Formats: sequence, C-alpha cells, structure tokens
Amino acid sequence: MIFRELFAKEADEITERDETALDSLRRRVGAAIVVVMVFFSLIILRLWSLQINHGEEYRNRADSNRVRIRQVAAPRGHILDRKGREIVTNRPAFNVVLMREDSRDLDDVLKRLAPILNEDITVLWNRVREASGTPRYLPIRLKEDIDWKTLAFLENHNKDFSGIRIEVQPVRVFHYQDLAANVIGYLGAISKTELEEADKTVYRGGDLIGKMGLEKLREADLRGEKGNNYSEVDAKGFERKLLKSDDPMPGREIRLTLDVDLQQAAESLMEIGEKSGAVVAMEVKTGRLLAAVSTPHIRLNDFVGGISHERWQELLDNPKHPLLNKVVQATYPPGSTYKVVTALAGLATGVITPDTPIYCPGHYTFGNRRYGCWKKGGHGTVTLMRALEESCDVYFYLVGQRVGVDTLAEFAGKFGLGRKTGVELEHEKSGLTPTKKWKLSRYQTKWQDGETLSTAIGQGFNLASPLQICQMTATLANGGKLFRPQIVEQVTDPDGKVVQTFRPELLEEIKGFDKYLALIRQGLVGVVNGPHGTARSAKIDGITVAGKTGTAQVVKVAAYRHLKEEDIPYKFRDHAWFTAFAPAEDPEIAVTVLVEHGLHGGSGAAPIATAVMKEYFRDRLTARAEEIARDTH
Amino acid sequence: MNLFRIDRRLLANFDFVLLILLLLVCAAALSNLYSASYPPKSLSATPYLKQGIFLLMGFAVFLVVISVDYRELLFWNYPFYFLIILLLVLMYFIGYEANGSQRWINLGFFKLQPSEPAKLMMVITLASYYSRKEVVDGYSLKQLVVPLILTGVPFLLILLQPDLGTAMMLAIIFVSMTIFVRLKLSTYLILGTTAIALVVVAWEKVLKPYQKQRIQTFLHPEDDPMGNGYQILQSKIAVGSGGKFGKGYLEGTQGHLHFLPERHTDFAFAVWGEEWGFVGSFIFLGLYFALLIWGLYIAMNARDRFGVLLAFGVVILIFWQAVINLLMILGFLPVVGIPLPLVSYGGSSLMTTMICFAILMNVRMRRFQP
Repeated sequence: MIFRELFAKEADEITERDETALDSLRRRVGAAIVVVMVFFSLIILRLWSLQINHGEEYRNRADSNRVRIRQVAAPRGHILDRKGREIVTNRPAFNVVLMREDSRDLDDVLKRLAPILNEDITVLWNRVREASGTPRYLPIRLKEDIDWKTLAFLENHNKDFSGIRIEVQPVRVFHYQDLAANVIGYLGAISKTELEEADKTVYRGGDLIGKMGLEKLREADLRGEKGNNYSEVDAKGFERKLLKSDDPMPGREIRLTLDVDLQQAAESLMEIGEKSGAVVAMEVKTGRLLAAVSTPHIRLNDFVGGISHERWQELLDNPKHPLLNKVVQATYPPGSTYKVVTALAGLATGVITPDTPIYCPGHYTFGNRRYGCWKKGGHGTVTLMRALEESCDVYFYLVGQRVGVDTLAEFAGKFGLGRKTGVELEHEKSGLTPTKKWKLSRYQTKWQDGETLSTAIGQGFNLASPLQICQMTATLANGGKLFRPQIVEQVTDPDGKVVQTFRPELLEEIKGFDKYLALIRQGLVGVVNGPHGTARSAKIDGITVAGKTGTAQVVKVAAYRHLKEEDIPYKFRDHAWFTAFAPAEDPEIAVTVLVEHGLHGGSGAAPIATAVMKEYFRDRLTARAEEIARDTH
Repeated sequence: MNLFRIDRRLLANFDFVLLILLLLVCAAALSNLYSASYPPKSLSATPYLKQGIFLLMGFAVFLVVISVDYRELLFWNYPFYFLIILLLVLMYFIGYEANGSQRWINLGFFKLQPSEPAKLMMVITLASYYSRKEVVDGYSLKQLVVPLILTGVPFLLILLQPDLGTAMMLAIIFVSMTIFVRLKLSTYLILGTTAIALVVVAWEKVLKPYQKQRIQTFLHPEDDPMGNGYQILQSKIAVGSGGKFGKGYLEGTQGHLHFLPERHTDFAFAVWGEEWGFVGSFIFLGLYFALLIWGLYIAMNARDRFGVLLAFGVVILIFWQAVINLLMILGFLPVVGIPLPLVSYGGSSLMTTMICFAILMNVRMRRFQP
C-alpha cells in the first residue's frame, strides 16, 4: 500500500496545477466540438444525398434485389362445338422438377429418382445439363405428366428427395380423341424465331404456343394471360414469402361452328380403309362449317408434352400426308362436279336451253383427238337434265366448246372457284381456274381449244379444294349467295363476355339466273333420285338429296385405262368426288366428300356424304320413321 | 479508504442530461437490434436479448465506475495497462478464432475481446501520462517517446491478430490526444514528414501487389460488387432505399433478407436508415451528436487537467468509432471492423462504451470537488 500512497500523493500534486494552462486546454475542447460538428454535418449531407436525392433509385435497386417474379401458366381457352360440347379443354399435368436452390446431394437424389420415374439416369442428367445456362431459380423439368401413382409416391416421400418438386401445369385434354385434329392443331414449345418475333411481354422461352390449326390462328384468344407470383428472395436466393400473386387469366373460350356428331360421322367412315381425303359440311344459308374432316390426321396426344422425333418423322414420311388439312390445303381437279359451272355458263350465255338435245355416241372428236365419254357406249340424245343426272361428258364438251374457256372461268369465279374462300384455316390454296391469259403467262403458249373440253368437265388444269367445291355447292343450293365459310361461332371471355360472334358474310351473289340455278338443282336431284343417276346410293328416304359425283383424273395418259379398276395401283387411281345438298326443296346443308384414289364418286364418296346428312337430319328422320311406324299399325 | 463512498454532493451533481441522452440512444439501438435480428430464430440466441443483458450489466458497471473518483485512475492506469497487454499476449495462446483472426478470450460466461477495452485503456493511459507530464509550450519529440512506446506495444499486438481496424483506432486515439495536448511546431513537422515518408515507402516497397489491389478495391468498392464492394453497395442500397421516411420498423427488406452483411454488428445503422429513412436517421444522429457534444461540454468543465483529458479521450474514442462506422455504412470508407458504439451488437464493445460514459459521468459529478 506504500506504493499506492506514493502515487496518490503525486495525483494530488497533478490536480493542483495552475488554472491558466487548464483554461487553454479547455478552450481546445471547443475546437474538438467544431470537428465533431463538421463530421456530423458531412454524414447528414451524405444521408441526404443517399436517401432524398437518390432514394427512389436505391429503392428500385432494393426491390430488384429482393423480388422475384415467377410466371404461372394460364389455362388455355376451351374449344367447344356449336352445341357447346367440349372438344378441347385442359387438365392439370404433374411434372417432376428440380429446384436447384434447394437441392442437396443431387447425384444420389437422381439415382434414386430415376427408377421411380422409369427413366434412365442419363436422361435426367441430360435435362439438368441442358438447363445449366438458365437462371438458378428456374425449375428444371425432369419428367412431364407423371401418373398419379408416381405422384402419390413422390408426394409421400418428398423429404427423401431434396430439391425435387411437383409442378402443376395445365395441358390440353381432348374429349373426342382426335376429332377435327387437323383443324384444331397442336401446341409446341416456342421456337427461337417465333420468340424473336413475339411480344416479349407475353412470351418467354419454354412457353407453349399454337403451332398449327386453330391453336395457332387463335393463339391470341386462347392463350390467356399468365399469372405472376411475386416472392421475396433473400441474398442466397431462397424464397422467403409470397408478396403478391396475380392469378393467371384463362384464355377465351372458342365455340366452333363444327358439330361433333357430323364430324364424328364423317371421320369414322373416312377412317374405314384408312381413306385419304376430306369431308366438308356447310350450312348453305350462312357459310357455317359443320364438319371439316381431313384424313389421315395427326394424333393430338402425340403433341402433348412435345412430339417425339420418331413420331414426327413418321408424319413427314406418310405418303397420305397426315399433316395436311386437305379441306383447304389440297386441291384436285373438280371432275364432273364442275359441270354445275359449265351448265350455268351454257344456260346463262344462251348457248343451250334446258331442252337443247345433244347426241352422245360415247365420244367426241375434236381436231384430231377423240374425247371419250365415261360411258363408252354413249348416252344417245340427252338434254340438260339427263346430262347432269348421268354426267354425260359429251354434252358438256359441246357446251364448254360453245361458251369458251374464259366464260367458263367467269362462271367458275361466280361460284368462288379459283380463289381462296377466306376461311379461317391455315395455308389455304386458291385452286386453279384456267383462262387463256393464265395459260399464256404461265406456259407462254396459246390456249388449245381442245383444252376447253377437258376444262368443261372439270379436268385439265382445273384445281379446286374440297372446301371450294362445297362452297360452290352451297352457292348453287341457296340460289346464288356466295358466303365466306366460317368456323368460329363465338368467342367468349373467361368472365362470360362475348368478344366475337358469328355473322354470315356474303361475298358475292349470282343474280338473274335463279331459274337456271333451279334447273341445275333439279338436275342434281336426278343424280341421286333419278333412274339412271350416278349417285343413287346417296338417296335418303324422307329427305330429298341432290348431288353431283365427280372423278378427278390422276393420270392423263390412258396407260391404265384398260385395266380393271382394282388392278390399277393405288397411287394411279382416280380421286372420287361427291358433293351434295339437302333438302332439295329448301336446302340447309351442303356436304362435299373427296376420297383420294377412291375411283368413283358414287361408290367411293357418296356414302360418306349420306352418313353426314343422315346425322344432320337425324331428328327429322327419326320423327318420320316413328310416323310411318304409327301409320302402319 | 472511502473508495465506494458517495456523498450527497456527488448525487446533487449527477448529470441527468447525460443519462437521458444515453438511455435514449441505447433504447433506439436496442430496438434496432431487435429488427436486425428479426425474425428471431431461437430465443436464446437472438442478439437483441443478449445485448439487452449486456446493457443491464453495463449499467451495473456504470454505477460501480461512478462511485469511484476518476482520479484513482492515475494510480490504476498502469496495472490496467499491463493487464490488457497480458490479455493481448494471452490471446495468442488461448484466443478464440473468428473469421481467421484471434480476437476473443473465452471467460466462460463471456467472450472477451481484449481489443475493445484496449482502446479505453489507451485513452486512460495517455490521459494520465499527459496530465503527469504537463508541458506549457508544447511537447517535444523526446517527451513523446514514452507515449509512443505505450501506444506502440498494444498497437502491434492488435495489428498482428490481425485486427487492422482496432489497431488504427489506437493510432487515431494517440494522434487525437497528442494533438489535443499540443506539440512543439518542430515536433509536428518532424512527425508529419516521417509519417508521409513511411506511407510512401510502404506503398512503394513494402506492400505486395495484391495488398495494393485490396486497398484500391477499398477505395473503389463499386469495381468489386461481389467482394467488399458488395457489402458497401448493399449497405448503400439499404440506407438509400429508406428514402425520406423509411420503410417502417421491421419492414426493412435489405436487412431481413440478408442482403445486408453484418447487419447487427458493423452495419446495424444501415438497418436503422432503411427502416426510418432520412427523418429517423436525422433524429437518431442528432441524439448521438448531442451525446458527444455533451461529453465534450463535460470535458470543458472538468475540474482538472486529468479530467479534461480523460473526458476528451473517451468522447473522441466514441466519436472516431462512430464516424468511421457511419462513413463506411454510407459508402465513404472501406469496410473496416469498427463498430458503432452502443448500436452495434457486441458485449465487449458495449461494456467498454458504458465504462466510457461512466467515466464521463464520473468527471461530471466531481467537477466541483477539491
């Protein structure tokens, strides 16, 4: 303690110093106050700059730091038939995805997951590798659309598979299998070029987009609006909480003019014997398409979740072109169905009257060439009615020759031939109605008069799509009104608001020839109902059907003509047309059938049209049958 | 031996302004720490609770410290000095490692960071030395040899830990206090020239390229957004995004989502800035400023030279730490491990700071004593 006493004494001494030195020291504390003030002012100024001047900017940076937006796919709009029956809707598909942020021990997880998903582990690893360039928070899809058993297993054992999640995604479901497959079309992942052209606010890589058919044409209506989940993310990328979520807006519902029953009736018959061809049914007074069949067709389910390379190659290699929608994308010589045009041209120009007799010896010699009638023995003397009913070629050769090819083309045009109908289907072909001018510019050679003869019976350069022939038939049936064929009845918003509704669209009208059109209709009634009609098989008891058969020559050269029909190789056989309308008294529906290599309209095509019509008139036919049954009892 | 005797006169001189300012700042700091550690992970481990306990302990120590006349420190300063040196040396043997530097000694109930009391010890040592050796017309170089050695030893020990920030603080305290007691003009010139020469030599000869690179990154943090620049940038985003009125208490996003590093220690004020905005920051810094100015006012009115030096020393210790920490948070200085006294989480720092304020109160209470 002596030590302490010693220092204590010194301490006393120190504190007893004179006041002047102490005062100068105290004054210097004032200088320190100035220093403190300067630094604090600097800090306040800096705060002002950060928080007031640049506050907004830093706020945005803070938000972009922390908010992550995940898109939620919108359910695509439903596609219904005219009566509201669902053709295409959506169902939830369960995809197995990997969240890289939550994943631990990926190697082991994938090893155990592969057998459960029934996949090879290399497939899973490839998926992971392919996605290595994408942002880490985006899930990697390991397998799409797993079955419920796998789903249940994974849900129950989710603790064992770190980073593995189930993602729900709406996918297309088809309630009538492949009904109207080529009209509806398919979806696929958006391609690079599509993405470049697309609205960037709407589409992102990996999105599904309509690739064909109405899915493509009506993409804007069907796609809906994606939803967004805004979640807060921490510095390590973990999502901490959901801040806000905008639900996706489902796509618009599209009601088609198609009728499932008619479509099915046509498709089922076309599928017998794997016929290649098209069937079109149209409401003659409106232009509504009731059926639009193209066979063979794509299989819609092949495209859900992406089509395999093999299946795609198969579609490309198939000689019957299942990817084509033959309703509008394939054209054929219209054959004898074209005689409707020739007949009207003849009557309208006055080169014939309904009673003008023409003698058919079975052929017609023009120049140094012999033009045959399909009936080698000849029809004898025919007038218009019989010429139509029995489809006498010689009669129409003469009519054609008298009116000339350009007049034929003019009348073909009145029926809508030679140009696109404007239907809402992709890649529609305009067909071909030859004229002298066309041939000169196309081939730099003069029109040969003999070619007029072929044109008059729908062969030669003539080309028409099944839809065009149907439109022509409807125009004939309704007294000359050329309607634009339409396929969409109504488009409705998810909240029920009707966005678009069907309105018949009259393109043109044949005026002043009502009498002649009626005559031709009468002739076509004979085709089905007359004693020598070429399509007597298409007759329906109780409904007067009128129609016209046709044969589209595949090979001009008569190399195979001498052969029996069944001996002609398939690809050289003629295409069979049948186009009809009913009831003849007050036509409602026009049906056109084309069967590729179907040989004869009457046998190859007419039964299909009949089936469609029977389906259309089913209620009336049943009522009539009941009536008859009552009467007999 | 009335070491712990407090007479009525002392109580009459108790400084409520200092106490209230201190309590206000502590309350704000504790609430901020609650937000910085929100949402709580587990009750026992949350920093704000521990800090609250330290704060209570701190006030207990505060009461003990004010009951002893500060002049006793003139005796106790060398024993303290050697104790701290001993602890700093001991750290090399029983030190607790954190982030690759030995900074803690585990006392069982408390992990002591000897570098924190070392700062205070430096203030006390220099204050007592400069009051013993009073020179009227400024200190000469020769008279500075002892304080230089007294500072140099702990400086080197802490620098080798390596804790550059605290070592620099010791140097700053030495410079501040030495300038405060005034030097001869010649001493200023000699020391100034030597210091500049040392920096130049160090830059040209001693520092390796990667060390220079690091310093340059310090000076331009935006060039290195994922390293040290990342911390500064996130801190600036946090404070800046607070705007005028802030995002609201517990509503800050930078802090809660871990974008802000060290958000309850060195960057705690950034949480405050984000949640309370400019207005709240202004009010808080105003309180802090008032506390420091009041401390200097106490220094100005101390009864003797030792009291002035001691009060000045502790205020300047808190001031420099605060300024360096705030300038770092606001993006003016590189990241150095300097806490904001009272605000940053840390028991050693808080205890040391509470003792600083207790010393201030002590000086204040005894300003009229003979």
